[in-house]
Amino acid sequence: MHGRKAYQLVKDFASGEKGHLKSFNNELFDRVIEECNEHHNALQSLIRKMQEEGLEVQTAKNADHYGALIHHLSLIRNKRCLMAYVYNRAEIVRELAWNVGLLHELPHEIQEKLNETEEQYFKDHSKSLKLYMSQMNLDVNVDMVPPKDPYIKVRVLEDLGSGIILSDKTANFARHSMHFLKRTDAEQYISRDKDVSY
Amino acid sequence: MANYYNIDDILTEEEFVPVVFHKAANGVIIDPSSETNSVEQGAKVELPLWLAQELCLRQAVSISVPACFNQKTRLEIQADAACVDLRSRSPYFYEFGCKIAPLVGDKTVEVLLLSAFKIRYKEILTKAYTAAHTATSKFLTLLTKEETNLYEAAQSSMAAFKKWRKGGPRLQRASVLGRKRKPIE
Repeated sequence: MHGRKAYQLVKDFASGEKGHLKSFNNELFDRVIEECNEHHNALQSLIRKMQEEGLEVQTAKNADHYGALIHHLSLIRNKRCLMAYVYNRAEIVRELAWNVGLLHELPHEIQEKLNETEEQYFKDHSKSLKLYMSQMNLDVNVDMVPPKDPYIKVRVLEDLGSGIILSDKTANFARHSMHFLKRTDAEQYISRDKDVSY
Repeated sequence: MANYYNIDDILTEEEFVPVVFHKAANGVIIDPSSETNSVEQGAKVELPLWLAQELCLRQAVSISVPACFNQKTRLEIQADAACVDLRSRSPYFYEFGCKIAPLVGDKTVEVLLLSAFKIRYKEILTKAYTAAHTATSKFLTLLTKEETNLYEAAQSSMAAFKKWRKGGPRLQRASVLGRKRKPIE
């Protein structure tokens, strides 16, 4: 059936949890592209047939015309499904760059779900975001609500090693040690599940 | 027109509608009863909405009202709209109805959608604010996609309100990392 594979591809994306990525469905993606080529060939051959019969392709409304039309519409549909699949995944990847990517690499289990171009997109997006922030000398990724106190107390949950450079000092983030930090310094670690504030 | 990249819109347009071909078409495998690769004039076929819609605009086919808006559904909705299982009819019941109504030229479809939504809307919000989570799981299976979103929005606004009243931590882990959490001894 026309457009069935493309539908499955979109459905595959939609069945995932909101904001979570599933592995890039290479197999289905390629099948849809293959189907596009088949439609294209069928379309071409129908138009050739009409031309051989000496009919005006634009105006003649015979059976071949409607056959070609259906192939044409299927092509457009497949294209929309493919584009939507890639676009919506890219949105999630961009979201990841804001939430987790600024500090370090992505966790391994998320990274293996991306395909190569998405990985590149993630890196480039993080890079340009970092560049913008360093040029403007402004962290655009901090909490939107202004804190009552610029400092918070945190306890380190995982050993992060020594010599971590904060804005005003370097600190040794050994496990279970407690620190009194600038809130802006601590935020990025909290969002990565390393510290707990209280 | 809805957003080109909208997933829900794409899925809505995959719903099947019954059509009758007014023109023959060659070289396509659409009619399962036909032995050749073509559709004859007058053939009755089920097509996905995205295809039927465009062909209808070019007057190649005419669309009739899909099964999910049949007399039985209408009677059930008239009886008690809140208890009708709309999801099994179509997970995109309302969106599908809005798209199909101008194509079939049936004014009663719009009336049906509006009256169903009005009654169910009230019911969904009441359930979302009051009922415990376990009690509603059966009710949730009756909802369409749109209604599920509505239900979740109502619940999260209620949760946000409670949190605001009590106060709580503002900084949290990024939710994408939620799954990988290991137990910390």
